[in-house]
Amino acid sequence: MIPDYYEFCNSAKVVSGKGAIENLGFELAALGASRPLVLTNAQLLELKIATIVIDALADTDAEVVAVYDDVPVDSSVAVVNDVARVFSEKGADAIVAVGGGSVLDTAKGAAIVLTHGGDLMDHRGAESLMGRRAVAFIAVPTTAGTGSEVTSAAVIKDTERHVKMGFTALSLLPDVAVLDGRMTVKLPPRLTASTAMDALTHAVESFSCVQANPLSDCYARAAIGLVREHLPEVLDHPKAHAPRLALANAALLAGVAFSNAMVGIVHAMGHAAGGVAGVPHGDAMAILLPHGMVFNLPVAGDRYGELLLDLAGAEVYASTPADERAAAAIDAVRAMTRMLHERAGLPLTLCEAGVLPEQVPDIARAALDDGALSMNPRQPTYEELVEILKAAL
Amino acid sequence: MAGGAQRRKRGRKALAAIVFAVLGRGLVACVRLDERVRADVRGWPEGTVVTLRIAPTGPQVSWRSADGALRYLGGRDVASDLLVTFKSVDGALPVLLGIKPVLRSFAEHRAVVRGDLTLAMSLVRCLHIVEGYLFPDLMTRRILPHPATRRASHATAYVFCLFRTASLDGGTA
Repeated sequence: MIPDYYEFCNSAKVVSGKGAIENLGFELAALGASRPLVLTNAQLLELKIATIVIDALADTDAEVVAVYDDVPVDSSVAVVNDVARVFSEKGADAIVAVGGGSVLDTAKGAAIVLTHGGDLMDHRGAESLMGRRAVAFIAVPTTAGTGSEVTSAAVIKDTERHVKMGFTALSLLPDVAVLDGRMTVKLPPRLTASTAMDALTHAVESFSCVQANPLSDCYARAAIGLVREHLPEVLDHPKAHAPRLALANAALLAGVAFSNAMVGIVHAMGHAAGGVAGVPHGDAMAILLPHGMVFNLPVAGDRYGELLLDLAGAEVYASTPADERAAAAIDAVRAMTRMLHERAGLPLTLCEAGVLPEQVPDIARAALDDGALSMNPRQPTYEELVEILKAAL
Repeated sequence: MAGGAQRRKRGRKALAAIVFAVLGRGLVACVRLDERVRADVRGWPEGTVVTLRIAPTGPQVSWRSADGALRYLGGRDVASDLLVTFKSVDGALPVLLGIKPVLRSFAEHRAVVRGDLTLAMSLVRCLHIVEGYLFPDLMTRRILPHPATRRASHATAYVFCLFRTASLDGGTA
């Protein structure tokens, strides 16, 4: 069914595959930039992952004017403002962000400040930033999960209020997303599993949320198929580049999907569990996805039924009666999280992730205030959120 | 033709302005009538100004939080902490007239938000409750995520709307 109205935008150029990093110089030149600031974190430099990018840039006409490696695990307003300051002081004309979601979102925040001036806090909102971005922006993800390299969204922490703030604007979309198997090959199994579940959740939620549209659906389904096929392969052969690249593509596809169709209750609860109890985002997604799907089942059952094909494959889909496919899709997700629990140590319950029963009310209240909830196909009450979270304990 | 289209557009904007006036007073009334709205508004930082606006030139309606209540600021220009802007009057009217759910309008990108999205979620919850007072159940069944529940009758809400918030017009109270 075609929605009455929808919008879709995916303007980022995707450069994916063997040797993709070596094309960074060309991509910068194509954007008219030659003085990049490389944004990353100290750990990625230490692991010699960010250095692959820096070395590749050294062999081009571009001059790396600064390497900013002080991005924390949770990007913050202070760091964003500081990156913007360094960018201006060094006379940079592009940001090359090398890292996970935190680094990429910090780059997006800095781009907002450099384009619109003032303090990042002045620019909070959804789709309210107008005009083109003032700086070239290339994203090189080092995890296969957030999809931030192709999303128009950023999450940045307000360290004073201890809340994560959302920003969405088309000007946050990077100019170029570079996927290279070398960037994720050193990810440990636990983190690989956790980030892959983030990508899977982006895809499942975007497919079932009220903003879903024919284009985002294609990206979501392709992403799910790649995760199903290649995540076990990556766990079997963590050093193999090809399946790593496939997972990176899955995360990118899921990123395009949710950037255009949003996410829902699972992300709302996951953000809240992260804020209240410090549950890592991917772990929260793995734990909460089946519970969110069960809650949405009365209104999104048909959509989940369609996803059985991507979640479990053609044979399972064909042999499952139509009216049982939605429940089977949820079972397929549960089977995947159980597999990841056994093989990578992913937690299966909120308790295992460190959530205390007395924290449930606070998580439920925070989830109610999370913007992701607004696009969920079924709006929960506070009491319903508490019940879902208790079931996930 | 062009003149006719302009007249129709002016008419739609005038209608939106009337609905904004009712909605503006309705939200203030609901803070008094309904503890759920009161609880949400009490969570807003003191002095927060919230505005619903139609681009590019209005109409608009604003409120300011003060002492756990809301002051109706009418349609004048104010500096807003949370600004919800409908891209066009045609995108706004179905929401304002109770034809389309508020969240559906966001899903369709009919409106953009500048400010704290947490506050925006709180505002949406409040607007859902206000719609439950201002519109009959026949309409709210289609536009609200849950069946409307009221702490007072429609009539009481309209009395509060029309008479008990009048003194707050223009933010003088």
